[in-house]
Amino acid sequence: MKELLEFGLIIAGCSLAALSIASFWIPKALGWREKLAGLTPLMRELFLTYSFYVWSSHVLFTVLALGFGDWLIGGTNAAKAMNTFMLLWWSVRLYLQFFGFDLSEIKASRFNRIAKHLLTLLFIGLVVLFGGLLCWNLGWLQPGSLQ
Amino acid sequence: MDTFILESGLRIAGLMLSGLVVANFVAAKRWDYAGNLAGRQVIIRQVFFVHCAYIVAIITALAIQCLGWPGLLLEGGMARVVCAFFGLFWGSRVVVQLTYYDKEMRRRDRGWDVFFLGVFLTLALIFTLAAIYQ
Repeated sequence: MKELLEFGLIIAGCSLAALSIASFWIPKALGWREKLAGLTPLMRELFLTYSFYVWSSHVLFTVLALGFGDWLIGGTNAAKAMNTFMLLWWSVRLYLQFFGFDLSEIKASRFNRIAKHLLTLLFIGLVVLFGGLLCWNLGWLQPGSLQ
Repeated sequence: MDTFILESGLRIAGLMLSGLVVANFVAAKRWDYAGNLAGRQVIIRQVFFVHCAYIVAIITALAIQCLGWPGLLLEGGMARVVCAFFGLFWGSRVVVQLTYYDKEMRRRDRGWDVFFLGVFLTLALIFTLAAIYQ
């Protein structure tokens, strides 16, 4: 089980790195420049500032998943706290993916459809992984389970 | 640096972060986020509020951590990375305030501008010191 979680962390880290890089295309894909033009300067600044800090959080998650897997799987209270936070973070994002965002204004191109499905898959994977890691750190999953 | 001092610093940071959580709700009302976004494209409204909620969530989680379990931010490599991240997070917020935000609006609310700059700078200092000296 531990090996599976470690492997999951590597996959998650690489996927989050891809998400962080792909995020640079989101403003273009969603036409932020034109859509933000009508906002007041303050709202525009807030919008882009919030976006930047959410993106930076994804970068932190990437660093933790790729560089600090041992700690995330180590059973410490810090690991439990961090895994709980990341589980909540991605669970909310998964909920929003299905029930929160109204994507009717987004162009229904093949690229956008594929991107949406890939994102959904990623969020499901992250929820499963951090749920599994939390259970592991709480001792609910035993070494050797799933063998 | 003494662990007690670092823990005390993190608890103070926790109090400041709790204040920032409240300030986010006050700001939403004062600057009328909902009114300003009314009539805009749905996706813009949704992204704005979702990002806003995630920022409040991350600040709330950090406030809880700092107030309840500051010691967890002082143990091991992951804690150091998290502290370093928040040192950068709040340090960059100072830069954003000074270089990106509308100067005219900052001038109109100079008192609050200086106050929040002080808060962000203090938070950057506490988390950076926690990352270096743990």
